Amino acid sequence: MDNIFSIKDLDLYYGNFQALKSISLDIDRNKVTALIGPSGCGKSTFLRCLNRMNDLIENCKIEGKIQYSQMDIQTKSFNVIELRTKVGMVFQKPNPFPMSIYDNVAYGPRCSGIKKKSELDVIVEKALKRAALYEEVSSRLKDNALGLSGGQQQRLCIARAIAMEPDVILMDEPTSALDPIATLKIEELINDLKRNYTIVIVTHNMQQAARISDKTAFFLMGELIEIDSTDKIFTQPKNKKTEDYITGRFG
Amino acid sequence: MSNKRKLNDIFYQFITYISALISVLALSSIFMFVFIKGSSLLDFGLLFNDYHEKYYNGGFNGDIDFSLTPEPDNLEANEFYSSMWGIALKDAKDREGNAIIIVSYISKDSPFSNMYDKNSVDIESSIVIKEGNIVSKISYYDKPTSLTRYGAELMIKDLDTVTDIREVVYTSLGGGIRGSLLTTLFIIGLTLVLALPMGIFTAIYLNEFAKKNKITNLIRSLIETLTGVPSIIYGLMGLAVFVPFTIAITKADSANLISGSMTLAVILLPIIIRSTEESLKVIPDDLRTASLALGANKTQTTFRAVLPSAYPGIVTATLLAVGRIIGESAALIFAIGTAIKDDVSIFGRSTTLSVHIWSLMKDEPANIELASTIALIILIIVLALNILVKLVSKKFITKIV
Ligand SMILES: Nc1ncnc2c1ncn2[C@@H]1O[C@H](COP(=O)(O)OP(=O)(O)OP(=O)(O)O)[C@@H](O)[C@H]1O
Ligand SMILES: [Mg+2]
Repeated sequence: MDNIFSIKDLDLYYGNFQALKSISLDIDRNKVTALIGPSGCGKSTFLRCLNRMNDLIENCKIEGKIQYSQMDIQTKSFNVIELRTKVGMVFQKPNPFPMSIYDNVAYGPRCSGIKKKSELDVIVEKALKRAALYEEVSSRLKDNALGLSGGQQQRLCIARAIAMEPDVILMDEPTSALDPIATLKIEELINDLKRNYTIVIVTHNMQQAARISDKTAFFLMGELIEIDSTDKIFTQPKNKKTEDYITGRFG
Repeated sequence: MSNKRKLNDIFYQFITYISALISVLALSSIFMFVFIKGSSLLDFGLLFNDYHEKYYNGGFNGDIDFSLTPEPDNLEANEFYSSMWGIALKDAKDREGNAIIIVSYISKDSPFSNMYDKNSVDIESSIVIKEGNIVSKISYYDKPTSLTRYGAELMIKDLDTVTDIREVVYTSLGGGIRGSLLTTLFIIGLTLVLALPMGIFTAIYLNEFAKKNKITNLIRSLIETLTGVPSIIYGLMGLAVFVPFTIAITKADSANLISGSMTLAVILLPIIIRSTEESLKVIPDDLRTASLALGANKTQTTFRAVLPSAYPGIVTATLLAVGRIIGESAALIFAIGTAIKDDVSIFGRSTTLSVHIWSLMKDEPANIELASTIALIILIIVLALNILVKLVSKKFITKIV
C-alpha cells in the first residue's frame, strides 16, 4: 500500500460555513483519482487543500490532518513553496501567462532559481514533449502563449506544471472549457502521465471519470460518501446516494 | 401634443449640434492660432540658439595665420568674401528694420576662429565668430574704422587691405530657446527617474501587498485628493521644502532643476500611483494563482507575472506624466525660477518651455510670435510623444494578445 496523500478528519470552514466535513481518505501514488459530485459539494475546496491554495482565501480555516509523503503539511513551519513545486495544479480555465510559450514553461523553474539557458532549454523541451504539445509549437516557442487554441493552452498549463518535476498534478475540471477533440487529447495525455505522476482530477463528466481514473471519490454536501476503485463505483456502488448520482437521478 | 414633442426634439438636436460645432471650432482655432502665429519663426536656429544676445570684443595677439581658403562658389551676389580673412559678409535688416551686417560664411582656417576675448581677464580665452553673427564694427591700427552703416562690401574691401586688426565688435543673435528646451528635457528625465519607480512601487504595495483595511483605503483616498490639489500649492511646498533641501545637500545656492523635479515628482506621484493601480486591478487573479501554484513566492509573482502584464497601464501613466511635466508652469515658477538661461545646469535656475512662454508674455510688449512658436514646439513634442508611446504600447499589446 503506497499512499502519497493521507487525509484524516479534515474539516474546512469558510467563515462560519463548513465546506468539508470530516473527510478521511488516502490517495494512491501513480494512480488517477477522480473526484465527482454535484456542484458546490466541495471538490475544488478539497483539491485546494492538497497544495494549500486555500491559504490564499481569507477566513478559510482548516482542521484535521493532511499528510503528504508522511509529512504533515498543515503545520505552520511546513514549506508551502516546496509543497507547491511537488504538487502542481491545472485549473478549469486555461490560464497561461501573457508571455511566450517558452517563458510560460520556464516560469516555474526560473522562480525556483534555475538561470542557465541550456538547462532551461532542456526542461522546456522535455515538459512540452511530455504534455504532447512539442510538435505543435516547437517552431514558435517565442510566440505569445495567448495565441494558442484553448486545448493547446490547457496542455501548455500542464507542461508548465510538469516542468517543475512534481510528484502530483491536481486538475480541477481541466477539460470543461474545451471541445470534445481537445478533451480527448487531454484524456490521452492523462493516461500517459499516470505512469510517472499521481493525478487527482475533479470532473463533472461521469464518462471521463470512468475512462481515465483508477479510483473515484464521491462527494456530497461537503462529505465524502464513498471512495473505491472506479470499476466498483460505476458498477456496484455501496451507497445508494452514489448510485443515484452516477445514474443521473440527481445532481 | 405631437407638435410640441417635435419642437422639443428639434430644440435638443439643435443644442447638441451647436455644442459640438462650438467645441470643434474652439479646439481647432487654438491650433490655428498657435500655428499661424508661431510657424513664421520656426526654424532649427531657434531650437539651438541662445536666448540672450551676446556682445563680443575680439582681438589678435601676435602673428595672424591668414586663411588659404578660396572664395566658395555658392556665394550670392550680395555676399562679399575676403579670402585672406576667410569670411563672407552680407547686408541685412534686423527685426526692427535696422541695417545690420551678418556673417554668412566663415572658412575653417579663418583667423576669426581664433581670437582672444578682450572682455575677459583670461589671456588664454579664445572666442570665435560664427555664421549668423552680426558684425557691427572692425577697427584697425592704421585705418579708419569700418562701421555697419558703410555696408558689407566696404567692410570686406577694408579687410583685404590690412594685415592686422585692433578689434572686432560682434554680436551673437539671441531669441533662441536652446536653454529652455534643454531644461525641459532635463526636467522630464529627472522627474521621471524620481517619480516613476516610487509611484509604481507604491501602487504595487497598495494593490498587491497591503491588507485591504481602513488604513489602506484612507491612503488611497488621500492620494485621490492630492490629484485635485492646484499645482501652485505644490509650488509653494517646493519653494519651502525642496529648494532649501537641495541647497543643503547639493552645491546649488538657489532654486534649481533638482528642486523643480522634486516638486513635479510630488505632483505626479498620485497620477502615476492611480493609473498603475488601475492597471494592476484589472489583471485577473488567475494569473496570480497560476504563479503561486507553480511554487513562486509573492514577490516573484508580483514582479515576474503581474507587473509585466500591467505594462500598458504603466506606459500610459508615463505619458500622462510627461504631458503634465511639459504643461506645468505654476509650480515651476516657484521651484526653479523664471530666469531664462542659455547655459543650463541642474544646480541652477532656468526655465522650461512653458515658463518661457509665461516670461515672454508678461513682458511689455509681449512677444506673442516667439511665445506661439514655443507653444507650437510644445505641441509638436507632445504629439511626437503620443505617437511614440502608441507605437511602443501597440507593439507590446500585439505581443501579448
Ligand atoms: N472562497 C470561498 N468563500 C466562501 N465560500 C466558498 C468559497 N469557495 C467555495 N465556497 C463554498 O464552499 C462550497 C464548496 O465549494 P467548491 O468550490 O469546493 O465546490 P465544487 O464541488 O468545486 O463545485 P463545482 O463543481 O461547482 O466546482 C460551496 O458551497 C461554495 O459556495
Ligand atoms: Mg469546483
